[in-house]
Amino acid sequence: MSEAPRTETGNPFTNGLWKQNPVFVMVLGMCPTLAITNSVRNAVSMGLATTFVMVVSYGLISMIRRLIPKQVRIATYIAILATAVTVVDYLVKAISIPIYVALGAYIPLIVSNCLTLERAEAYAGKQPVVASMLDGLGMGFGFTLALTMLGAVREVLGAGTFLGVHLFGPHFEPWVLFLLPPGGFISLALWLLFFAAWKERAAKREKTAEAA
Amino acid sequence: MTTPAVRMVRLLGTVSLICGMLIVATKLATSTRIRQNQETIMRDSVAELLPGIRKQIIYAIEPSGELKIVPGLETEGPRLFAGYDAAGRFLGVVIETSDRGYADTISAMYAYSPDKQAITGFKVVDMRETPGLGDRIRSDPDFLANFHDLDATHPPKVVKHGSKKNPWEIDAISGATISSRAVGRMLDKSVKDVVPVVLKNRDRIEKGN
Repeated sequence: MSEAPRTETGNPFTNGLWKQNPVFVMVLGMCPTLAITNSVRNAVSMGLATTFVMVVSYGLISMIRRLIPKQVRIATYIAILATAVTVVDYLVKAISIPIYVALGAYIPLIVSNCLTLERAEAYAGKQPVVASMLDGLGMGFGFTLALTMLGAVREVLGAGTFLGVHLFGPHFEPWVLFLLPPGGFISLALWLLFFAAWKERAAKREKTAEAA
Repeated sequence: MTTPAVRMVRLLGTVSLICGMLIVATKLATSTRIRQNQETIMRDSVAELLPGIRKQIIYAIEPSGELKIVPGLETEGPRLFAGYDAAGRFLGVVIETSDRGYADTISAMYAYSPDKQAITGFKVVDMRETPGLGDRIRSDPDFLANFHDLDATHPPKVVKHGSKKNPWEIDAISGATISSRAVGRMLDKSVKDVVPVVLKNRDRIEKGN
């Protein structure tokens, strides 16, 4: 993790949601991004669980940020993140066992997601409570959005369904590759390609407008 | 005057204490609801595996192999659920089983008919198998079709996808061999250990005493 100071400008909520989207811009949290996005339901559930962990733990981290000695800050962040993850684990189990079963091992793994730790270090450890919680909310929703977009591509192509509803007739042959790990990499590459092309076109259009 | 080391220990100690208290509070606050959810899932699974069921009796299998009626699901250890229709007629039993899967333990239930001496249904109740691959043991219709009257006079055996020839064989899911084999192992173990207990106590279970 970089020690270099970061400049965080703009609204912390919208930054995470789009401009600094954790998956498509910062390319963080790739383990759950590639592993659980083979269905939209899993992607949304994972995204919301991560959002809860980020909002709660960033609030706590920001609240005690001035008391944390520099040498033990990472250990403190991990203890707080792990607590929020354990709380989510119990809550999901209490709310719905089918969702708990569907998310499997990925809830405990939120604690080791580099996105959650990176934002704790880069933002929540330095900023006030409300801004930190907004950053967690924006990043969490941005993460959920990205996971859902990946999950939609993979579920539609890999299983021929969207949220479990069959979209094509009985003759549709699912492209199973998209449900397998390579499908995760291919879908992510396609989305990154799409956003890079979009950005390039927007920059070109801006240049042309400036020249005119 | 406190040294940096003391400050670090004090901070980490306080954070750990608060975190521990939060976890314990959440566990206590959710435990009743989680137990109720688990009980509902169990009862729904039994109802799903034995269509037409109106009454169920839970038996715990004691280490001596004897059956004991238990009031709820709190009992630890192997249990079986006897199902009866509206007229009190015996429908079959649902047996709990589990084995190590690819990621963690797979817990499942299967319906067994002493009349047919066959497994008539199978349902996974808890697992952590790979989403999209191993977790298909819960939802793949072709895999679940294996358990419509799977012969239990022979130990069930998992075979390669598409090569099932005998009524006691289970057609594995292509791409989820480890999870399919875990299902085969748990059924094999249960058919050898629990089914003889059911057959030995059949009269008693049918009468519901």
